[in-house]
Amino acid sequence: MRKFNLLVLNEWLKISKKRSNIIPYVILLVLSLAVGYMTRTFAADMYASAADFTADSLQPRGIGQLLAILVIVGTAGIVSREYSQGTIKFLLIRARSRTAILASKYVTVLLYTLSMQVVATVGLFLSGAVFFGLSGGEAGIGEILTSLLYSTVYCTVYATIGFMLGILTKSTGVTIGATIFATTIDKLVISREFYKYVLFPNLNLAAYKDGGAPMQGMTLTFSIILLCIYMTLFLLAGFAVFRRRDVA
Amino acid sequence: MNSTAHNVQEPSGPAQEQTVLEMQGVSKLIKGKAIVDNLSFKIHKGEIVGLLGPNGAGKTTTIRMMTGLIRMSGGDVLIHGHSIRKEFKQAISQIGAIIENPEFYPHMTGYDNLLQYLRMSDGAGVSRIKEVVELVGLQEAMNKKVRAYSLGMRQRLGIAQALLHSPKLLILDEPTNGLDPAGIREMRDYMRRIAEVEGIAILISSHMLAEIEQICHRAVVIQNGKLVTVTQLTEVPEARSEVALTIRVDKLEAARTVAGALQGVKVTGADEAHFELHVQLPDGAVPELVAALSEAKVGIYRITENRQSLEEDFLKWTGGNRIA
Repeated sequence: MRKFNLLVLNEWLKISKKRSNIIPYVILLVLSLAVGYMTRTFAADMYASAADFTADSLQPRGIGQLLAILVIVGTAGIVSREYSQGTIKFLLIRARSRTAILASKYVTVLLYTLSMQVVATVGLFLSGAVFFGLSGGEAGIGEILTSLLYSTVYCTVYATIGFMLGILTKSTGVTIGATIFATTIDKLVISREFYKYVLFPNLNLAAYKDGGAPMQGMTLTFSIILLCIYMTLFLLAGFAVFRRRDVA
Repeated sequence: MNSTAHNVQEPSGPAQEQTVLEMQGVSKLIKGKAIVDNLSFKIHKGEIVGLLGPNGAGKTTTIRMMTGLIRMSGGDVLIHGHSIRKEFKQAISQIGAIIENPEFYPHMTGYDNLLQYLRMSDGAGVSRIKEVVELVGLQEAMNKKVRAYSLGMRQRLGIAQALLHSPKLLILDEPTNGLDPAGIREMRDYMRRIAEVEGIAILISSHMLAEIEQICHRAVVIQNGKLVTVTQLTEVPEARSEVALTIRVDKLEAARTVAGALQGVKVTGADEAHFELHVQLPDGAVPELVAALSEAKVGIYRITENRQSLEEDFLKWTGGNRIA
């Protein structure tokens, strides 16, 4: 396990030692403040408290979509850049299996996603505290955590799609492009029976809040099972290709 | 086979025959075409072996199969008895390699890059970084980002990276590619020092024949993925019976007559414009010939040996400069 942790540390350092790594975190904080300020200015009585504001803004249809995009941009290169830089050769001639190396990369992607979520939550809450105050409102810590969970699920699925595409295409640009395109069309609803088996309508679990459903006949359990199936497929495809591929 | 006869340290007994790398009928088929075809050879401890071949002969493919970067279609590679297919971790932990250009994470310092590889190897401590950095002389550059490194510095960092986990076999793919003459010479010195100081076997792939000739003990020549020949490079003088000489004299005709009269001496030609006589004779007959020429009052200006260079051999083996 110690060996694996060291691999994760390696991957984390590769991301965090980039000088540009701070930018997405700054964007999140600035945007949180900007959203808070604008809401306060144009719809002052929309939220009663910081918790209300945070719980609502964090959802995938709020700042959550931007979060997903930032996560994709931050992690799309984790596999493909090793190929384009040529560092893949030194990486794979170590006494570590390809599976362990790729798994450490995926764990790093998850950690990165989580770190972005935490920063976004803290940023939104601070912004809420400044513009709406701490007292009053209906929402509490429970609502914030629920929203955080929805947002994390949404971002993790996209991070996993990006991770797989990065392995399959070996191109950072294609990965970012294709995944961001997906985030822009995932709100479309095609009113056909088959569409509920497609990934997109199942992504935003927040839609089930208050007894709703993205489409008729869909339930929370249904979506969770479908998301699990899709994630497993993405990861299987990624690992199978990475393990077998000739590095030429 | 006296492959280690010229080894500086002259290791004793069984160590001499210790096989570090064994290629067992390794093949690679891509779309039905054999890129590497049933290739077998061995490398022993302390040896520097060159892997030679024209462009497209399969050198890089061979090396990538040895290091597990690409899968082989048939055969196996044993490193210290461990199969790279079945016991990858044990086998690869004995190998240090630079494959094509050494590429590092440019936004990290040389030290941070080495730490990355240290965390992926077992047994070596942080103090090992200091050792290998001193060996390649990069102390001053360790805290600079790799982005600011020259190619020569990256090559040195590449060697440091390859030696970090104290491997038994060092594999270098085109190590002097893109280096200037000073860099090439430096590289050669490193490799000699590594072989002597660390006592490890080195496999160098190259099409730079002079390079190989200067530092390798043996050369494995491949073409179209097939083994052409394995040749001893540093030959023992006694082992060669026949020598070819060019003698520059003042009286060509007289010299030809004298040489022709001696037993065992074959006059293979004469260059009248340069007053040069080409002869072929047993090594032991050279003093005799010189004495005979002096006796006949033929003045000798120069005697040069016509050694067949590796380049000529290479062209002979590989049939000219056809690209496979």
